[in-house]
Amino acid sequence: MRRRTPWLLLLLLPLIAGVQRELDARLGRYRATEEALFVWSGTAVRRMAPGLENVMADLYWLRTVQYFGGQRAFDRDKRFDLLEPLIEITTTLDPRFELAYRYGAIFLAEPWPQGAGQAEAALRLLEKGAREMPQSWRIRWDAGYFRHLFMDDPAGGARILLEAAEIPEAPYWLRTLAAAMKSKAPGERGFARQLWQQIHDEAEAAPIRRNARLHLDYLDAADRRDALQALVDRFHEAQGRWPRSLAEVVRDRALLTDAAGVAWDYDATTGRVRIARLSPLWRLDRWKAL
Amino acid sequence: MDAGRLSRIAAVAANTHREAVRERVLYNLVFFAIVMILSGLLLGQLSIRQDEKIIKDIGLAAMDVFGTLIGVFLGVSLMSKEIERRSLYPLLAKPLSREEFLAGKFLGLSFTLFVNVSVMAAGLYATLLATGRGADPALLKAVLPIYQGLVLVVAIAVLFSTVTSSALAAVGTVCVVVAGRYSDVVRNMRDVVPDAPTWLIEGLYYAMPNFRNFDFKNRVVYGDPVGWNDIGFVTVYWLLYLALTLGAAAAAFRSRDFH
Repeated sequence: MRRRTPWLLLLLLPLIAGVQRELDARLGRYRATEEALFVWSGTAVRRMAPGLENVMADLYWLRTVQYFGGQRAFDRDKRFDLLEPLIEITTTLDPRFELAYRYGAIFLAEPWPQGAGQAEAALRLLEKGAREMPQSWRIRWDAGYFRHLFMDDPAGGARILLEAAEIPEAPYWLRTLAAAMKSKAPGERGFARQLWQQIHDEAEAAPIRRNARLHLDYLDAADRRDALQALVDRFHEAQGRWPRSLAEVVRDRALLTDAAGVAWDYDATTGRVRIARLSPLWRLDRWKAL
Repeated sequence: MDAGRLSRIAAVAANTHREAVRERVLYNLVFFAIVMILSGLLLGQLSIRQDEKIIKDIGLAAMDVFGTLIGVFLGVSLMSKEIERRSLYPLLAKPLSREEFLAGKFLGLSFTLFVNVSVMAAGLYATLLATGRGADPALLKAVLPIYQGLVLVVAIAVLFSTVTSSALAAVGTVCVVVAGRYSDVVRNMRDVVPDAPTWLIEGLYYAMPNFRNFDFKNRVVYGDPVGWNDIGFVTVYWLLYLALTLGAAAAAFRSRDFH
């Protein structure tokens, strides 16, 4: 009997595997675990592990990534309730964990169901990062970009990017990005034009100068388009119909094309004036994210 | 110090080291520390572009935590064993003073810890090299203070085991080490208890071994400059505290009646 015992035990293995397979089939291969956070404050976790704050931050960050990935990939309801507290704990434990701010903000800001759809929480996180790491232009770059992209505030975004550009070692293109963002803000084109003109005049490399020229042309085109749109709207108010073509409202033929010399895309059924797809300026008009 | 005294201390130290490396628990702890350091390889993969930071954080934390466990275990067990098993008596009957015995024990344990920390540091460097990261020599500026802290843990464990049983010595050592890690909380105690007398807070703060002094992990991992001046001051603090602890241990050991 004693000799047979190891063989009998070996027989148990396929039995266990069979039962496990049955359980997987019944309960699903990837079973969402009940997520719980027992400590909600980074300061409390910090107190629990003196001298080991960094490694605790790493562990919380790994948990954040797993939680986000798990919710996104496997959870049907896709609730991201623990995301903000997990990132808060991570960044309180290690206030210099730059990527936790940056990726954490992406996880939070992405619209549901790709992310948590909490753009304001993402911006709060990036603001905390900017306070903790005043020399990090990358966090401010993200903050400016997010403010434009998710909060629809290009002027605020551009202001943050210009602050970032003042940080030593910040790249010069932050200014160009700020200028491009300003171009999107109503009433801010004058400032954007100044910035692009400055970039154009100071740039030594031809591609940078060409890019600045293109943006200046776009600003001109945007002004011209808005003026045309105002004329079209006024025509509609006076005549009760949209003009059949732009020539009906504009005498000067030069105004019938954008700064690149391409005719406007005018929709006579809706009265909308747009930069035409054929124009090299169309890309800048469409590119909301810059 | 005469040559005879030195050779007696060296003999006790060598025996202590030999005895320590026979302990199975020591190997288990070192094994787990190495596994933890190597786990940085896997955890780094899950972390989104933070593998180097995580490998370094985990490696240094493993050295710190497992080193502390080894320090408490070795410091308490090897000293208390001699007393509880009465193997100390024939030794003291020989021309070997109690101070020499204590110094030999302490040096043997410190050397054992040095070997362990070296093995763990080699594991950390191997992990970094395996992931294509350079062998950052600045890491040694975190490893050296960790080792100093661990030696202080051993000294405290030796002090406790000269005055009490092994169980109580282990509890006492752990309490002092944990309290020493919370030294900043003690210093800021008035924020929570405004009525607490300043002399009490300051007395506690300066009397306890401040283990936060030996923590350069964060600065080293983030590549902040760590001056040798800072490490020098920490070394002075360490030597002074070692002198105090071992002096107290020697006094207690001298006055202890083993009959």
